[in-house]
Amino acid sequence: MLRYGVGRLLGLIPVLLAAVILTFLANQAVPGDPITGLLSDQSGDAALEARLRAAYGLDRPLWQQFVDYILGVLQGDFGLSFRFAQMPVIDIIGEGLLISPVLALSALAIAFPLGMLLGTIAAIRQNSWVDTSIILVLVAGISVPNFALASFLVYIFAFQLDWVPVAGWGSFSQAVIPITLLVVPTSAYIARLNRTYMLEVLRTDYIRTARAKGLREKIVIWRHAVRNTLVPLLTTVGIILGGLLSGTFVVETIFNIPGLGSLAIQAIFARDYPVTMAIVLLFTVFYAGINLIVDLLYSAIDPRIRLGDRTA
Amino acid sequence: MKISNRISGLKAGSALVTVLVLAASAAQAQTLRTNINADPAMVDPITYSELIAGDVIGNIYEGFTAINEAGDVIPALAESWDAHDDNLGFTFHLRPGVTTHLGNEFTADDVKYTFEALLNPENQGGLNARYLATVVGAQAITDGDTTDLEGVRVIDDYTVEVRFNEPDVLFPIYPFYFMDDDAVETAGDEWYLEISAGTGPFVFETWDRGQRVLLSANTDYWGEGPYIDAVEFVIVPSGDTAVSMFEACELDVVYADAASIRRILQTPELAEQSIQAPAAQIRYLGMNQNLYEPFQDERVREAVCIAFDRQAMIDGLYEGAAFPLAGQVTPGVAGFNANLEPMPYDPDRAQALLAEAGYPGGEGLPPINITSTEPNRNDILYFASQLQQVLGMPVEVEIVERGSHIRNMNAGEVAFFPWGWSAGYPDGLYFLSQVWYGPSPYNRSRWQNDQFDALIDQARATADNEARYALYNQAEEILIGEYGTCPTTVRMQVALVKPEVEGVRLTPFRFLPFNTVRMN
Repeated sequence: MLRYGVGRLLGLIPVLLAAVILTFLANQAVPGDPITGLLSDQSGDAALEARLRAAYGLDRPLWQQFVDYILGVLQGDFGLSFRFAQMPVIDIIGEGLLISPVLALSALAIAFPLGMLLGTIAAIRQNSWVDTSIILVLVAGISVPNFALASFLVYIFAFQLDWVPVAGWGSFSQAVIPITLLVVPTSAYIARLNRTYMLEVLRTDYIRTARAKGLREKIVIWRHAVRNTLVPLLTTVGIILGGLLSGTFVVETIFNIPGLGSLAIQAIFARDYPVTMAIVLLFTVFYAGINLIVDLLYSAIDPRIRLGDRTA
Repeated sequence: MKISNRISGLKAGSALVTVLVLAASAAQAQTLRTNINADPAMVDPITYSELIAGDVIGNIYEGFTAINEAGDVIPALAESWDAHDDNLGFTFHLRPGVTTHLGNEFTADDVKYTFEALLNPENQGGLNARYLATVVGAQAITDGDTTDLEGVRVIDDYTVEVRFNEPDVLFPIYPFYFMDDDAVETAGDEWYLEISAGTGPFVFETWDRGQRVLLSANTDYWGEGPYIDAVEFVIVPSGDTAVSMFEACELDVVYADAASIRRILQTPELAEQSIQAPAAQIRYLGMNQNLYEPFQDERVREAVCIAFDRQAMIDGLYEGAAFPLAGQVTPGVAGFNANLEPMPYDPDRAQALLAEAGYPGGEGLPPINITSTEPNRNDILYFASQLQQVLGMPVEVEIVERGSHIRNMNAGEVAFFPWGWSAGYPDGLYFLSQVWYGPSPYNRSRWQNDQFDALIDQARATADNEARYALYNQAEEILIGEYGTCPTTVRMQVALVKPEVEGVRLTPFRFLPFNTVRMN
């Protein structure tokens, strides 16, 4: 198990490197150049342009910019922001570092049990009116775009009921709508998956056996069936989390939450490559870390899975 | 990591304290909450180079002069000034008894220091550095030969003399932001994140990235007010969210972006709480005669100018929040010519002119692109479809990324484009000398007329306002008379103000400082 963990962590290195290379190349391929962006109306002033290029190190050949960047990152130096005059990237991202992960994980913590519950209920009441109404709600939850749902939630909770503020960050009430917005499609997705898995599990022999033994239906479902749907569900957590993290980009922009998501949007539009790169790197680390934890959880849930232990 | 520690220390320390103090005394404290749509790129007056930063910095720092609600120039840190007899300089008499936010008296040394800091190549001096181009010795500092600005002489604490290489009669109205020359010594290179070094009605407190910039009242302010305790610039990237926050009383004043103007003007409760002012921004259609031969014929240029309907654009594209622009100086800016009539929409005459020029029904016209950036997509689609339908002109639309587009325009490489130019100081010379003067680097369509250029040179050396405005009008008539460009429209700025907030001043130059604001 330990060896497996270490191996996986080492495996992260090429992943991170690939992420850096891809982002670096993507930044080069995007139309526009940070210096012409900075110069704006003054572009055409060759002397000023040369001075700025030198100041930001963009006068070096591309490969050298890349190597210097990697060396800097290894020492914890992510360079200077293009957009924020003379500010180190690390200061800029440091302030909102945990907001997007906190949003995504809180949403996951609510959506996962909620989705499991809804999916399970729908499955055990298959083809009844309960099942049909749950499915209707789920389809709506998945299909309504988050910005439309945002307006709706703001209208209800901020204007009609006056329970929470429209936007901002720093208090619990300000987090309610953004998290709800992330929870709705995620829990709907999990519920639909879980309904399918549950229907499969309910047709298996061990469930028939459990019922034949005379176990109460509650125990059959919640102890035997649910536990067996957990493993396939867990494999999707990585994908779900990816969706949640990209969801924070939209949610943070709508509700002016100062997380990495909204910062990434600002940085991309401003061609602020050093900030974009740092955020991509951080999200990659976060995402890979979660996937690692999920993989480790498999063996805890299903003893048949023995990670990395080839002799067993 | 020194800076990082300093900033996070600042955040944890003063930000929290300020916010707590403000929250604790919320019952009495009056904080004006308004929106900016992104973080300012800077909060210091030296690197200052963008609109959002200007919205914040304009409340903290001041120049020789300011403008009042009517758009007229009024004395600020300079009480008066004398032009030198040779027209190559000014002597400024500074207002005595003004204290900076650091508690020092504002003196002539601060003026000289600010000028030198703007020009110093190590500082990446922003927009205000270009106003110093004519000052004697400016080039030597930019070149790194010296740090002393030869053309600025401190005579005594309240008198400073500025000398030019060529006449620059508008120098007193340039919007400089003077700072205390003690700031760097007091707080180091990143002083602007820790202290406030201006003389303005508000004092910089904190900047929480992505959330807010907080200013507090300068209780020692030399001028009117401030009557409120603080200004909170809340960073709200979405214009729609800003309007919702206003409705939910989370913002007191909102500067509306183009996208939310529709919602405001179509919602009666919001429209009632809105104020409007024309923007000091010319808009025009650039026609580069070097790149598209038919533009060399005045009849073709006129045909283009009268082939689209300005009123239809205003109603259809701008929700009525605009009006036709007749010349190339906007109303509310000194030197505006009220007698100029907007160009008509006259498809028949346009067709006739084109036929006369040898292109009946557009026959024989080479293909051309009309180019702009994504936010102007609807505008160029409209122009292209009108020109195709009315004139049979083979026009294709082309969208280019903003930075590249500006670079191409500055290089004179864009044949046909709608664009704009926002005034940096309250005088029509800004538009005429920067966008239409032959040698200007911002003359993007490369229109050139010797007589026009001579009038602008003469205006630069004419200190008398009325005489100078007359020169603007003459120059403008040449430009418009030969259809050097097609003026298009002027945008209306729209802002929302809560009924309990008084004294918000929306001018062609966005909001004036909030020192006159009262909250009941």
